[in-house]
Amino acid sequence: MKVLDIQRMSTEDGPGLRTTVFFKGCPLSCTWCHNPESISPKSHVEWLGVRCIGCRTCEAVCPQKGIRLDETGVHTSEKCTACGACTTACPTQALEMKGKDYAVDALFDAVMKDRAYWGEAGGVTLSGGEVTLQWKEALDLLKKLKAAGVHTAVDTCGLTQQSVFEALLPYTDLFLYDLKLFDDDAHRRFTGQSNALIFSNFAFLTAQGARIWVRTPIIPGATDTDDNIRGLATLVQNKVEKWELCAFNNLCRDKYERLGRDWDFKAAGLIEKETMEHLTALAIAAGAQSTVWSGATARTED
Amino acid sequence: MAAKYENAVKKPGALSPRVKWLRDYYFEGTHRKWNNEYNPYTTGTPWDTQFDELTYYIVPETYTFLPTFTQSFKQISQVVPVDGDFWKKSLVERKADFTKKCVVERLPMEILPGDLLCGARFNMMYSMCLTKAQQKERDKLVKEARKSMLFLFDHGYGNSGATSGHLIPDYKKIIEKGFKAEYEYLELLYNQLTNAERKGPKGAQLRAMMTACTMPKELAEKYSAYCKQQAEKCTDPKRRQELLVMAANTAKVPWNGAENFYEAVQSLWLTHMLVMSDEKYPGPGVSFGRIDQYLYPYYQKSIEDGMSEDFMKEILGCFWFHCNTAYDAQIRVGGNQGITAGFGQLLTLSGMGKNGEDMTNDLTYLFLDVIDDMSPILEPKPNVRLHKGSPEKLLNKVVDMISTSQGAPFLLNFDERSMAGMMREAQYFGDKIDLDNVCEYAPVGCLENTMVGNDRSGTVDNNLNLLKALELVYANGKDMMPYEDKMGGKPSKLTQDGPQTGELRDLDTWDKFWDAYCTQTKYIIQKMVDNYELSESIRAKFNPTPYLSTLVTGCAEKGLDVTQGGAEISFVTMEGVTFATTVDSLLAVKYLVYDNKECTLEELVKALRANWEGYEVLQAKAQFRAPKYGRDDDEADAMAQRVMKMWSDEVWSHETKCTHRRFRPGMLSWNYWIGSSYILHASANGRKNPQFLSNAICPSNGADINGPTSNANSVGTALGGKSEHGDYGKYVNYLPNGASHTITFNTSLIRDPAHKEKFKSFLKGYIENGGTALQINILDPDVLRDAQAHPQDYRHLLVRITGYNAYFVSVGKELQDEIIARESHKGY
Repeated sequence: MKVLDIQRMSTEDGPGLRTTVFFKGCPLSCTWCHNPESISPKSHVEWLGVRCIGCRTCEAVCPQKGIRLDETGVHTSEKCTACGACTTACPTQALEMKGKDYAVDALFDAVMKDRAYWGEAGGVTLSGGEVTLQWKEALDLLKKLKAAGVHTAVDTCGLTQQSVFEALLPYTDLFLYDLKLFDDDAHRRFTGQSNALIFSNFAFLTAQGARIWVRTPIIPGATDTDDNIRGLATLVQNKVEKWELCAFNNLCRDKYERLGRDWDFKAAGLIEKETMEHLTALAIAAGAQSTVWSGATARTED
Repeated sequence: MAAKYENAVKKPGALSPRVKWLRDYYFEGTHRKWNNEYNPYTTGTPWDTQFDELTYYIVPETYTFLPTFTQSFKQISQVVPVDGDFWKKSLVERKADFTKKCVVERLPMEILPGDLLCGARFNMMYSMCLTKAQQKERDKLVKEARKSMLFLFDHGYGNSGATSGHLIPDYKKIIEKGFKAEYEYLELLYNQLTNAERKGPKGAQLRAMMTACTMPKELAEKYSAYCKQQAEKCTDPKRRQELLVMAANTAKVPWNGAENFYEAVQSLWLTHMLVMSDEKYPGPGVSFGRIDQYLYPYYQKSIEDGMSEDFMKEILGCFWFHCNTAYDAQIRVGGNQGITAGFGQLLTLSGMGKNGEDMTNDLTYLFLDVIDDMSPILEPKPNVRLHKGSPEKLLNKVVDMISTSQGAPFLLNFDERSMAGMMREAQYFGDKIDLDNVCEYAPVGCLENTMVGNDRSGTVDNNLNLLKALELVYANGKDMMPYEDKMGGKPSKLTQDGPQTGELRDLDTWDKFWDAYCTQTKYIIQKMVDNYELSESIRAKFNPTPYLSTLVTGCAEKGLDVTQGGAEISFVTMEGVTFATTVDSLLAVKYLVYDNKECTLEELVKALRANWEGYEVLQAKAQFRAPKYGRDDDEADAMAQRVMKMWSDEVWSHETKCTHRRFRPGMLSWNYWIGSSYILHASANGRKNPQFLSNAICPSNGADINGPTSNANSVGTALGGKSEHGDYGKYVNYLPNGASHTITFNTSLIRDPAHKEKFKSFLKGYIENGGTALQINILDPDVLRDAQAHPQDYRHLLVRITGYNAYFVSVGKELQDEIIARESHKGY
């Protein structure tokens, strides 16, 4: 399976201390995405300028002639097959391969290294990208983890066949489930996909009594409207353990630059704390009593 | 400091007016009218000296001052006349007599405003009490020892010397029974000696120790009379009453046993401060041991008697003040706190009992409150022992205290791993350390584990740069390059100091290289052992400390001073410095030369001689492509364990000739890893001179790319990991002394109760997988600013804000500023 990264001692992906596996590839393409390097299901090469010493080893080793250094940095062209020749040879690791292939057993061994730190509350979270794109392998991993007595969480955008959730449910202790936009047109516009399947899967999981934490990114000009939160609240109600409104942050600007892509939100500032509080109160008033908010908000003190 | 960062620095808690005054007064430093500066005393002979430079051989920054110190004390010492038969007595008796005379008759006696404890001045620099012939002999030997020590230091081996402190005296027995019982015990032993023995060194030692027992008695009596006098003069009835209680306390302790908490703390303080007088070098690792355990019965008694916890905190606040005045010794050198902040009167809290049960009690929490209220302050240095059975309440308190400080106000010690090291040591003193009493261990100084009341293990006496062995391999047993003599400016000659382990071209397989490395490691250990013999034998012959000997079990029984190996458990510790730099260098040699053939060994050594200049690509491969210790990489950590086992096995095989103290291994680096980075040349892990070497058992700077849990796992593995045949349960520990480990955490990790729970979970995992001791730092904005300025040193600093994660150095300046500002405000 294709894994973007394994983060150990993660504190933000479910209860307790966890090891989070970020799977590569996502069926949505949210315009605000914070981890754009996770969207493509294929491996790709990324260049970190601060590490580069300009030695041109990459150009020398590339069998496709698909990489070059110019005055603006190192760039791969469409000839790049992500074969790994340059990332293995780069003396400074300025070139990183985004996306690494793992067999289930090797991934299991890698995550289990931190078992001593998880305690009873913590465990392993499968995140992404979107884990359900690689659900068969993920299911094997979840089965192994459950057999070893590990608490498991699946962080999902919800866009997959219901049968996938049926398969995952017995081996998943907690779903971190993203609900973004209540209005389907808006959903299509901002994420590229309809929300119908996401909502029906959510209904399925709640009906099955799954333990769920819903997460909604609060994005300026996209998801931060009263109507949207009120709408989503009708779905969430008190069917989940927690609904977390996550304040937009703009720290990923550099990631877009590295990917050579423009970003609609590059000029957007952080959300005001008052907005987060207002939306949280709105959600609670609309019947979703477990709503909380998190994240960095605009500072007002200076 | 910019106003917006002020909240980032911890402030003391709510202190009582008297404790607040004493604390504030202490921090006035050189502006104080009163201080505890050295009082120098001489017998008045023209050859007399006071300052003992041997104790400073492990403090390289003082080397250039040593002659000045010696001469200046000679010049300013007051003459204390001695009796006619003084010079007829043995040296140890002369020392006991003279110390007592100075302490009781000469040290100025004061009580500070509001102070609840007697015993203010104690720093003395008194006569060596040597005859002319002895002084001459000693001076000659010291010259030789100094030369050997300077060679070691200048050529990058490290430093070594017989130094003072670094033990836990048997304070418990004095608090319980008083010096009176000790005196009677010594008398009993003395009466059992034959006449011949009485005339010999044994008799002299016991007589000197008896004299030493009466020193605290007479000093306390003097304080008692002084308190009465002061009470008579005092117009404030409340203070008068306090002074009368102090008079009663000192009339009783430490000669007699204590019966309540106040008496016990008074007894402890006087007994402790006189150890520092006796050794003439205050504070270095003269530690208190499990203070919440041995003071607990007195705490209970006083609670029953109606003493309030608030009053106990006031007594302890005064105790804290006095511990800090140790630094006054050299207050005029190096700012407000003297030349060093590295003393370390360590106290130990909590920990497990004999059957694995937890020993936390109400007094543990009282101490933690005092630590919280008094910090930031340097002394005494608290250490909290954690283990699998540590209660949630204690862990919560520990995490709370960490979250309100920049760095934890205490060091954490981990029982299971530590006790495994002590059980490994038990092979050599099997009847003194066993599964029933190993839980009574406690750390001294910084974190060096020892037993209590019967153990002196010279925990900082030898500090060996493990990396030096590799330099010798690169040059077939010679220095890799000439060292510059810092005083004369001349380069040193390249001589065949170490064994010839082969020309580089002949080291054509990894196994041959490894063998050469092992041979040179054995050589540098031998070199250190030989050097230590010089200062150890001088101390054993000329520097007895009879007072301290009364507080260390074994000395009375053997009739041997503690400086002569009198302690029941008597090791010398060799601390390995530059561990990760050495392991990573070995990994880089293997990767670059033997596994991947990126270069030949000759080319690599050429690059090192050039300080990597002109070899940037090879250097980058060494830094970034070669495996590294500290990231839970099985191959790299296996190398770390192999190095650890090899060098520690070698250390165990040595013993001092003059005192028969076996060497034992440890890993504390104090500040040597910084100083030595200017001496040791470039290393194969990609480090240039003078980039810092690695600290103690910590991974090299920037090598722990997989975060704190992988870092901790690597440390546990390097120490031996776990096995079916562990030293204690499944735990293996090659380093009985323990190993210093520091991890820096992000403030966001402990920002709210849910996250504190997560941090607790990390600590519980560390108990399972980690090392012996952990210092926790909380990332401060200055670190981030430094990262901004020097991105190359912080390549792997990860920042995470909810769903977003990235390397700090890879985000733009503007965004970095944003993160820094948030860290400053802890605003997530």
